[in-house]
Amino acid sequence: MISATQRRVFWGLVWFSILVLSLPTIIVLGASVTSGNMIAFPPEGFSLKWYEKIALARDIRGAFGRSLIVAFVCLVISVPVGTFAGIALTRYRLRFTSLIQIYLLLPFTIPLIGSGIGMMLVFGNWGILGHVWPVGLACAVINLPFIIWSVSSSAAVLDSDLELAAANCGAGRIETFLHVTLPGVMPGVITGGLLMFVLAMTEFLVSLLLTDARTVTLPVQIYNNIRSIITPDLAAISSVFVVVALIAVWLLDKLVGLEIFLKSK
Amino acid sequence: MRASPILSEVTKTAVAGQSHAVRVRDVTMDFGSGSSPAVDRASFDLEKGKFLTILGPSGSGKTTLLRMIAGFQRPTRGDITIGGKPVDAAPPHRRSVGMVFQKLALFPHMTAAENVAFPLKMRRFNPAKTPARVREFLDLVKLGDFGGRRVNELSGGQQQRVAIARALVFEPELLLLDEPLAALDRKLREEMQLEFRRIQRELGVTTINVTHDQREALVVSDDIIVMDGGIIQQHAKPVEMYRAPENLFVSSFLGVSTFIDGQVAEGGMHAADGSLLRGTPVSVGLQTGQRGRGAIRAEQIRIDQDQGGLSHCDTVLQVAIKDVIFEGERLLYTAASPILPGVDFQIYHHDPEAFDLYEVGQQVWIGWKAGDLKVFKAAD
Repeated sequence: MISATQRRVFWGLVWFSILVLSLPTIIVLGASVTSGNMIAFPPEGFSLKWYEKIALARDIRGAFGRSLIVAFVCLVISVPVGTFAGIALTRYRLRFTSLIQIYLLLPFTIPLIGSGIGMMLVFGNWGILGHVWPVGLACAVINLPFIIWSVSSSAAVLDSDLELAAANCGAGRIETFLHVTLPGVMPGVITGGLLMFVLAMTEFLVSLLLTDARTVTLPVQIYNNIRSIITPDLAAISSVFVVVALIAVWLLDKLVGLEIFLKSK
Repeated sequence: MRASPILSEVTKTAVAGQSHAVRVRDVTMDFGSGSSPAVDRASFDLEKGKFLTILGPSGSGKTTLLRMIAGFQRPTRGDITIGGKPVDAAPPHRRSVGMVFQKLALFPHMTAAENVAFPLKMRRFNPAKTPARVREFLDLVKLGDFGGRRVNELSGGQQQRVAIARALVFEPELLLLDEPLAALDRKLREEMQLEFRRIQRELGVTTINVTHDQREALVVSDDIIVMDGGIIQQHAKPVEMYRAPENLFVSSFLGVSTFIDGQVAEGGMHAADGSLLRGTPVSVGLQTGQRGRGAIRAEQIRIDQDQGGLSHCDTVLQVAIKDVIFEGERLLYTAASPILPGVDFQIYHHDPEAFDLYEVGQQVWIGWKAGDLKVFKAAD
């Protein structure tokens, strides 16, 4: 049993954490509905005019669309690669497993600015700078460890007899993979995919180095706007981001349940 | 020159097809690395429609042998024939073998009915007839109304039944059971043992069951193979296996026995003090004067207060009761004799009328018939 004092301390800590974690979101949400012309909290009055403004602003809409393309390209590349790598590293006894693991986790250990400059040089050399899709490729590369982890943790809890059982039922190797292994790791794939999507939507540093005036993504666009003048429309954009992230979390909970996401390493 | 081996292969196949559903010849699994083979030259035949249990302790090679028959592992040497066809080159999904796994390995993302339909889908069964077939097999395992449930919504016993239906639905020539009952509690386990037996008889499917549970082996099987150290120790019918074990291992693995070391003698064996214990030699080539080990089952030793009550026995000894264990339907006495130091006799006593007949420390008489004390070569 815990005493009343302990209980008060625990709840105090819980509320403090909740407040601190959600404070920036609350402030941004509040600032975005101000009717004044300055970004401020608490807001002066209530109005949705800043949302109207970003919805009508061509540069922001364009940047948002490009960010969607980046996230989509990132998914198309990272989901198959991450899924195969995650399954292979967990389920099959490969030679050099630990070396491969270290290699796949490399993007994590290199500072983003380093990766960004590296990719800027390589992409420039290939002559693909100035397109939007290479930013998606870059996002896939630097965030790949997330989806590999997510798929691996799903694959690790899969009963290895399931694949033998499928073979026993008459399924060949490809049928076994499609009907048994893949559905088995699907929670990890969905979790990893949503994570990759959100990360690609919000990726800033590498995108900053890989984009120019015609190919800016949304986070870079926001950064450019901040540099000139800070108006409440930035808070409105941030709020849209928060909503996108919330939708992703809600989808995750619907599709696979949040506890799997929280369990994945 | 090339014609004759092909011809002999055909003849062999035809002969095998007539009577044997499964034929295993000199199958060896050697994982290398200097250890002894996991399975060493195992050979046996199994008639169509029979229920065979491979019984052995963990590490005896029984599961490895089963996995080779299923095709999950390739034997280092030897041949396996199923339904008259050699399967050495066939991968598991091309064999007509259904298997119930130890942890069942039901597909968690499918319903019970989808699990049962899966082998039909993979084996290109007529899709129009699939629902009726699935229903038929769910009915067979008494799960007719549970087809729409997800696997994790079913109880342990129901999951067992889905696994059985999935293994049988495509009417394989052979059913393999890899200790699927090991994790169940005793009551459910015994219920499922009889259920396996019923379904197996109803369909007449040839079955190989692997277990370390001697009771299960005796209850469900037509034939039993006892394995130890990768080697088949004995292949016999249950009663024969229990009553006439061929070696010390089988004798100790099945039932509760008392073991007595001594010298092999004419008509039995000599105890340490030279007195003759009447018994029957079993091991081949057992010679008088050799060191031997006698084994007698707990239910074959008679116990009485007076020597006179054991007049039908060939050997009688006076012993002191060391321990009494009440097992419900019977008592288990432990008793020792001064002429056999170090030997604790294990004696079952059934008496529906009176329990707690003898107390610890009491002097009583035990006896047995010469046929019940089996004399083996002493273990090296």
